[in-house]
Amino acid sequence: MIEVLHTGIHSSIQDLGRLGMQNLGVPIGGAMDQNAMQLANRLVNNPLQCAVLEMSFKGPKLRFHQPTTLALAGADMKARLNNEPINNLTAIRIKEKDIIQFGTAHQGKRCYLAVAGGFKTPKLLGSRSQYLGITPEATICKNKLIPIDTKKINFRKGAHIAAHPNACHKIQVYQGPEYHLLPKKAQEQLNEQSFTISVNNSRMAYVLEEKLTHQLPSIWTAPVLPGTVQCTPDGTLIILMRDAQTTGGYPRILQLSDAGINQLAQKSTQDRFQFELTEA
Amino acid sequence: MKSERPFRCFTLHPKVVLLEWSTPPDAALLQQLIGFQKAILKEVDEVVQITQGYCSLMLYHKSEVHYIENYANRLYALFESLTAPIRTKQKIWEIPVCYEEELAPDLKSLAKQLKMSTAKLIHTHTSVSYQVYFIGFLPGFLYLSGLPSVLECDRKAKPIPKIERGSVAIGGKQTGIYPLDSPGGWHRIGKTPYPLFDPKKKKTCFAQAGDTIQFKSISKSDYFALETQRANGTLEILPL
Repeated sequence: MIEVLHTGIHSSIQDLGRLGMQNLGVPIGGAMDQNAMQLANRLVNNPLQCAVLEMSFKGPKLRFHQPTTLALAGADMKARLNNEPINNLTAIRIKEKDIIQFGTAHQGKRCYLAVAGGFKTPKLLGSRSQYLGITPEATICKNKLIPIDTKKINFRKGAHIAAHPNACHKIQVYQGPEYHLLPKKAQEQLNEQSFTISVNNSRMAYVLEEKLTHQLPSIWTAPVLPGTVQCTPDGTLIILMRDAQTTGGYPRILQLSDAGINQLAQKSTQDRFQFELTEA
Repeated sequence: MKSERPFRCFTLHPKVVLLEWSTPPDAALLQQLIGFQKAILKEVDEVVQITQGYCSLMLYHKSEVHYIENYANRLYALFESLTAPIRTKQKIWEIPVCYEEELAPDLKSLAKQLKMSTAKLIHTHTSVSYQVYFIGFLPGFLYLSGLPSVLECDRKAKPIPKIERGSVAIGGKQTGIYPLDSPGGWHRIGKTPYPLFDPKKKKTCFAQAGDTIQFKSISKSDYFALETQRANGTLEILPL
């Protein structure tokens, strides 16, 4: 068990989500940056789909009620184990009563904590990913105990992966189904301009500050995916993220690649980036 | 020579293909979409899931679709090979709704906007049947067609932060039931005690595309009696 002493800003249990239930309106969900999530799992010898703790912007303070091995990947949250700094991308042995504390995110916005064997909260609709309405809570709760696996892994010297910067300015996208209806000028704008993430960003969607000039017709409500870029009548761009609804009525002008979603997940308010169009 | 294709086949992600029909949605297209989904899931091994919109299908695949040989033509041929719409078991569900003011906070204002009495509004809403087009927006949210045109209305200028689970609402040309608490811009005209989405049940959502929904007006006391049963987990929904 892990006891939550402080929750941080937005910390939730996430695995790879609920793929296969979208015809019931269930969002896919899952870790925002699945690359970092899987790296953390790899370091503690877990299957890649094991549930981890996703920590956004500012991390929590946690007390371990059992020994385990953990690893961190993604943003650097200046983690401290019993007040001593520890590094990301390294397997670390934990004893009972150890306390881990996280600060504000640097070089990214989300950090992933994997433990040997994974987090063991109940599975609902095939996944442990927290989503309000399917799971009772959207995030971890103060003073609650979170179950984790009791698996012990042996290592002489902790596994380690060399850090690689994830501060990519270009986000890979494909054309969306309504892209070809955009005027040439708007297409050029998408290809050449830099875009800024507005304060309105969450696990569900990122709204951008810059607007697009267009006269796209509205569409009949149709399926969307995480990474779909919608364009509202006033030209506002909405990038759907992991907890996005399954259908939408706004034209879909771009689609982020899987790598693009992972990269965007490490950005937040006022961060800037460019779209890089490629073929699906 | 330009051949007429029945639908557009668009790859929007290496593993996802969108099929889109250019005709507006109607009952005939809905039956074709339902039949075609069944056929694809049966015939195309690579497809793991299909989601549906009013005039489109989204196909999710195990691996990247450019490895599938001649895929678009295979799908066109499969669609052409479907003859009469496949008769699937399409059910009729009667949803009990309490339209009394306490459970219908926007009924009066909407009746005023539509220039009709609340009794007329309720009668109009319950006098027709609605068809389930697909499920989306929220877990278990049914997209219904068939709202009488006299009930079409503007959405609220500002969405309200919480529309309660079970609320029956009208917005634009649509009517629907909120399966979970959610922000929303529709007018709440009643409330149903029926369990609409339960992640703990094997059949999480009672209805599916093609089913028919009818609303039946019930009293406040009936509502609360059924609501108690729902909270106890003893309320079963059965089709007519």
